[in-house]
Amino acid sequence: MTSTPRVGVVGADLPRQVALAAGAVPTRLLGAWEGDTSREARELLGAMDVVAVRILDEILAGAHDHLAGLVVCNDSSANLRLFYVLRVLAERGRVRLPVSLFDAPRGSGSPREHFVARRIARLTEFCEAVTGSGPSDFAAAAASEDALGGALRGLRARRRSGRVTGAAALDAYRAAATLAPEEAALEVDRVDRSAAGIPVVVTGGSHPDSSVYAAIENEGLLVVGDDHDTGDAAWIGPTGRDAAEIARLHAARPPLAQRSRSSERAAALAALVTETKARGVISLARELDDAPAWDLAAQRAAIDVPLVARTRIAPDAARTQAVDAARELRDRITEEGA
Amino acid sequence: MSADRLRSAHEATRYQKQWFLDLAERARAGEPLAIVNADAPHEILRALDIPYVVTQWWSSIIAAKRMSPAALSHVAARGLPDFSLQYDAIPLGEQDLADADRPWGGLPQPTFAIAERSGDITQKIFEQWGERDGTETFLLSRTGGDPAPHAWWDLVPHQWEAAFGSDRLDLLQDEIGELITWLEERTGRILDTGRLERILELGNEQAEWNRRTRDLIASARPTPVAVNDTMPAVMVPQWHRGTEWAVGAAKRLHDEVAERVEEETAICPDERVRLMWVGRGLWSDLDMYRRFQEEFGAVFVWSMYLAIAADGYLRYGDDATRTLAARFVGITDQLYMPPWSSEWYVKEALSHGVDGVVHLVADDAAGAGLISEALEDEGIPVLEIRANNADERSAAAARIPERIEEFLRTRVR
Repeated sequence: MTSTPRVGVVGADLPRQVALAAGAVPTRLLGAWEGDTSREARELLGAMDVVAVRILDEILAGAHDHLAGLVVCNDSSANLRLFYVLRVLAERGRVRLPVSLFDAPRGSGSPREHFVARRIARLTEFCEAVTGSGPSDFAAAAASEDALGGALRGLRARRRSGRVTGAAALDAYRAAATLAPEEAALEVDRVDRSAAGIPVVVTGGSHPDSSVYAAIENEGLLVVGDDHDTGDAAWIGPTGRDAAEIARLHAARPPLAQRSRSSERAAALAALVTETKARGVISLARELDDAPAWDLAAQRAAIDVPLVARTRIAPDAARTQAVDAARELRDRITEEGA
Repeated sequence: MSADRLRSAHEATRYQKQWFLDLAERARAGEPLAIVNADAPHEILRALDIPYVVTQWWSSIIAAKRMSPAALSHVAARGLPDFSLQYDAIPLGEQDLADADRPWGGLPQPTFAIAERSGDITQKIFEQWGERDGTETFLLSRTGGDPAPHAWWDLVPHQWEAAFGSDRLDLLQDEIGELITWLEERTGRILDTGRLERILELGNEQAEWNRRTRDLIASARPTPVAVNDTMPAVMVPQWHRGTEWAVGAAKRLHDEVAERVEEETAICPDERVRLMWVGRGLWSDLDMYRRFQEEFGAVFVWSMYLAIAADGYLRYGDDATRTLAARFVGITDQLYMPPWSSEWYVKEALSHGVDGVVHLVADDAAGAGLISEALEDEGIPVLEIRANNADERSAAAARIPERIEEFLRTRVR
């Protein structure tokens, strides 16, 4: 019996329906907040967000050799640089996986949507080649992905009503990004347990795992929403009839820090704060992931709740910095509410 | 002017200052002005008679005047990062300097801010320009370097469809069309395609002169010119690309270099070590490039500015906007994307016969590790220094001269 092939994904731009239609399970490689990095990976990537370095280390160590192929999204400088390095390493035989770039610039309008649609067609060819499947059936793939999207909408609703911690929500998103849709939907649906704390929103860079959220929530806060691609802004669920429709959906996605204007980010954050009734915002950005820092001024101006930020977070300081930020935010909320 | 300074460098610097003062006066009188990043299709602005200032050039002037720390402090005062992509951000802060501190009287408020979305940050910086009253921002997409065939320098002048891929070219060509419309609507001017074609021709003529100059310097022993001279002598005309003056400036540089080669002029008669500077120019301390001549006989014979002017811009085509798209769609790929970047630096290092490489690595530079590795694989020792070229705080912290001295003592023959 052969198992369903898996296509690895670095980044958040992949239209998962395409991989599913080719008979593969899209499996996102997320990295981690903590852990050593090798000298080889550091030197190959240079000055780079440490999460990308950790993903490269995993690949170099063979941790993902079971994948049929790897798609890297051009959704951040870090991921694009990782693709360039992997392409060279694949040519040398140092990386065994077939590697492909998925390039989907943000912005609406026909030039960009036309380009993205053509890249989706190319992605389809890549997925079919690595899985050895026949012509992709977008419609068939849509059903299971739609169901997962529905489960995630339910998760977001439960988050807003205090029935899911932020850490549990991130774990659910991780399941959705790494498991087969049917299996993931069951995992997502299971997450329903009362949660307490001052409601806050997390903005900034992505979270490779839930450890930082757990640290924040230990300080009496409850993360009821977020705007990064490993949380509520993950692109999991939407499906289209064809490449052109998927390209239009891509153009309408929530703005992410690395590829969007600060004004878009600020407007989206303000809407999220209102929707979730959050009383404060924490912005966290790792060292060498500077895009969130550029959004801060606009974000502060757009919301009427306190925002506490930590930028240039060192590789080994994420939880410490997050706890520090959480305490500061909690104190400010408490003072302002008194 | 020092005895061995290039006349063409002196002339370019003089011309540029007068050009800027005239431009500033016209802008203050109400003419439109654009600020653009280096990798945007400037030729459209030239064809529409809209003067433009290039962010990186203006940053280099601010840095040379030692005003970058003050400019960055104003960036921080607006709640923006002063530690991120300083090369692009410094001009934002310059706008807020006291009048007496602004280089050459300061850059007037631009009407247009135009950039491509290279990396994560450039778009945010150019968005900030558009937040100021009187300035509007236009952003172009920056697609990833895929495909990446080998020996790009042989392909891009004519076979750019194969080098970059038609999808990428289609997108940028369409976006250049959007930019033209956007500018026409705001200025009431209409782009003259014949004029754009002539501007592209002039750009090619300029690049052809630069290629000849680069080849002369590559084969000359000892080296006849200093890189801190070729930098302004090449880059000032680069920002006037598409003009008769720029072609003339490139030719004058060539002729002056040829004259020096003929006369066997040496900027360091005791030349023993030939060095390559990979990375952006250290604008706040250009004299640094000559600091190692006396003690070590070490001469910087190469910087990317002349080399990319020689290899990076030539595009021959019949369709003006597509040819222009081909000039810019992969401009950063050529310099930074492996394997393109690493292959090109190796080619240049070998043709120039360098003995060592100083590699200044900026945070936003992709592929630095593979560039260093490729050079080392050719037996060329590499000193990597991580610093920002335009932020003298960063450069000072990196102890650049001290580390080069140590490198020369310990690793270069």
